[in-house]
Amino acid sequence: MPLKFDLSKCTGCKLCQLACSSSHYEVFNPEKARLKMIHEYNDDGIRIASKSCILCKKCEKVCPVGAITNNGRWMIVDEAKCIGCGTCVDNCPTKIIFLNEKKSTICDLCGGEPQCIEWCPKGVISLKERKGASA
Amino acid sequence: MNSLTGKILKVDLSSGQISDMKTPVEWVDLYTGQKGLGSRILMEDVSPATEPYSPENKVVLTTSVMGGTIVACSSKLAITTKSPLSGTISDGSVGGHTGAELKYAGFDAVDIKGKADKLSYLFITDEKVEIRDAASLKGLGTFAVDAKLKEEIGDEELKILAIGPAGENLVPYSCISSEKYRQLGRGGIAAVMGSKNLKAIAIRGKLDVCVNDLKGLLKYSKEVTERDEVTADDNEIYDLGTTCLVDYSQESGLLPTRNFQEGTFEDAEQINGQAFKDVRKNKKGCFSCGIACGNYVEEGDTSVEGPEYETIVLGGSSIGNGSRKKLIEFNSICDDLGLDTISAGGTIAYMMEATQKGVHDFDIRFGEMDKALNMLEKIANRDGIGDEAALGSKAMSEKYGGEDFAIQVKGLELPGYDPRGSWAMGIAYVTAPRGGCHMSSYPIAEEAWGELDPFTFEGKGKLVADMQNSQFCKFSMGVCDFWPIDDETLGRLFELSYGGEWPADKVYKTGERVFNLQRMFNIMAGFDRTEDKLPGRFHKELLKAGPPKDIAYTKEAFDAAMDEYYAYRGWDERGRPTVEKLVELGIEPKFIEAYKAVL
Ligand code: SF4
Ligand code: SF4
Repeated sequence: MPLKFDLSKCTGCKLCQLACSSSHYEVFNPEKARLKMIHEYNDDGIRIASKSCILCKKCEKVCPVGAITNNGRWMIVDEAKCIGCGTCVDNCPTKIIFLNEKKSTICDLCGGEPQCIEWCPKGVISLKERKGASA
Repeated sequence: MNSLTGKILKVDLSSGQISDMKTPVEWVDLYTGQKGLGSRILMEDVSPATEPYSPENKVVLTTSVMGGTIVACSSKLAITTKSPLSGTISDGSVGGHTGAELKYAGFDAVDIKGKADKLSYLFITDEKVEIRDAASLKGLGTFAVDAKLKEEIGDEELKILAIGPAGENLVPYSCISSEKYRQLGRGGIAAVMGSKNLKAIAIRGKLDVCVNDLKGLLKYSKEVTERDEVTADDNEIYDLGTTCLVDYSQESGLLPTRNFQEGTFEDAEQINGQAFKDVRKNKKGCFSCGIACGNYVEEGDTSVEGPEYETIVLGGSSIGNGSRKKLIEFNSICDDLGLDTISAGGTIAYMMEATQKGVHDFDIRFGEMDKALNMLEKIANRDGIGDEAALGSKAMSEKYGGEDFAIQVKGLELPGYDPRGSWAMGIAYVTAPRGGCHMSSYPIAEEAWGELDPFTFEGKGKLVADMQNSQFCKFSMGVCDFWPIDDETLGRLFELSYGGEWPADKVYKTGERVFNLQRMFNIMAGFDRTEDKLPGRFHKELLKAGPPKDIAYTKEAFDAAMDEYYAYRGWDERGRPTVEKLVELGIEPKFIEAYKAVL
């Protein structure tokens, strides 16, 4: 169940990223969030975009040591196995995987209670139900 | 562990030396962050007698102690200096994401002095701090600086503070653009940057911000933002932003029109909240803010974040302009040139009235927007009459006459509220430390738009002083104006982020201490009660429509209210804080000694 975004409502406050970094690392740091909202002015006006895990599972396929698996709802990194080689980072099509302290870091849906959804003040983020998924 | 980074970056542009110092905990405990800390850092070695454009003056950036955390609306950035326009201490603040970015770069504050030998910009990241050559940015508008630096450095998320041609050309009401579309620094902080050959500051940070009690903060922060409906969808500030005030001011008969000659504007509906909502493309929120008051609008070829209420007045009704499109252009041109919309509009309004009245023919009349937009360029480039208009309405009126209608206090042009329609606003204007400004207190919310009688001075001295103290603690401890937070909640958030004990009375005292510290600076810079005065117009002329119609705002009544204000503050009859008051507030002895020497 990847995250989905109604970008028309996003105001760029980054509360989602703060919720993500604080729930996983006990710090506030948007750079350590497993999702990213872009809300920047440029010459054409304003650019609003989101980056998050789309559950394509490419990381699982490319990981040379089999550290990444999934449970059908989110990806799971086995930190003991992860060697910090960055192959997943390089192959992530949305460029959202990063290494933190040499370990691969991917959205884990906060174990089923997504904190970004909980904290977004504008109701931008929700869970995309997959076709055929049972209730 | 607490929410400070623990470091202040020190930059001497003359020698090129870059160093850092530990953030003194005693300063934070007394003055907290932003406004308070900025004043304290400035006063550490800038004497109140300092010439604003001298290398000894400083540009001090201060973050909020709670900046970078999840606390709503808590990540503003303040910049403090001695103003070249008013000669007072002057701090401005800006929302957006720049304040948080500086925290993530590892600094609570940046303390800049000296003068670079050539045009430079400062590059601050968590990995390195550099003074870089800015020759290629010379003369550029702030929008181009933003785009160019992002491209050159290759990071669209850089947060850039930039000055435009107005700052480079030392217009004493030039201001700084932050992240392209947000502005700060009334009273010419950008000109002080210009005098230091500092064109821009580019910031990017990737470090952590920690707090004293994370679990407690997450829980409490969520609870109180919900309780205070900070994130509610029907929040009017979210719906319209500050543009909602146009209708309020019009109804209250205090919407400055044609240089404050009138208080209602026939075309108000064309430039009100709804009018700008019609051309809105997006909302934009500041870092960690659940409100998102910012409006990104587009009309024709012009886009801008805004216009905010004050710009709508000073670039609209007060210069006789009822065109939304021209207002958006006015806003965009000012932002790009790096001009304060309030002072630029106020000065042009003065010139229009002088022309209308035959006091002096500046060849510009109310409603002549093409000439007004052209004048902005002339001001920023110090071209022809623009060279004089660049000095502001006070300086112009001293030369050409019409001082009663140079609508300013201490040289700083007034924002969008006629004090004849909300009497305490007059006290607020004359006692605001940086000159005619609405940010140090906003009694209009209690008077014209609240329960109190706007046409009496009874109890208003106390009202304004109390509100100032609260605003000063909010703006020092670091919460945006649009969260009507109480001192107790603010103190609790501060405890969870920073630590220590911050009961409501200590929070309030902090605001009072910072207010008095700024007043001391101004007294030592040569100010006293004599300068706490409104332009003659307000006492001599009556408004002719709306609720304030024909109600006299007399100088005698005003002076009596000021007596009450000073007495309530514990200041003497000349408006100077007494030594006893300063001791009671715990202001540091070394400042009190210096202050005694000028009394
Ligand atoms: S669901 Fe949790 S881990 Fe995933 S992006 Fe949101 S806050 Fe981060
Ligand atoms: S919390 Fe919501 S509104 Fe704020 S940046 Fe994230 S998605 Fe956008």
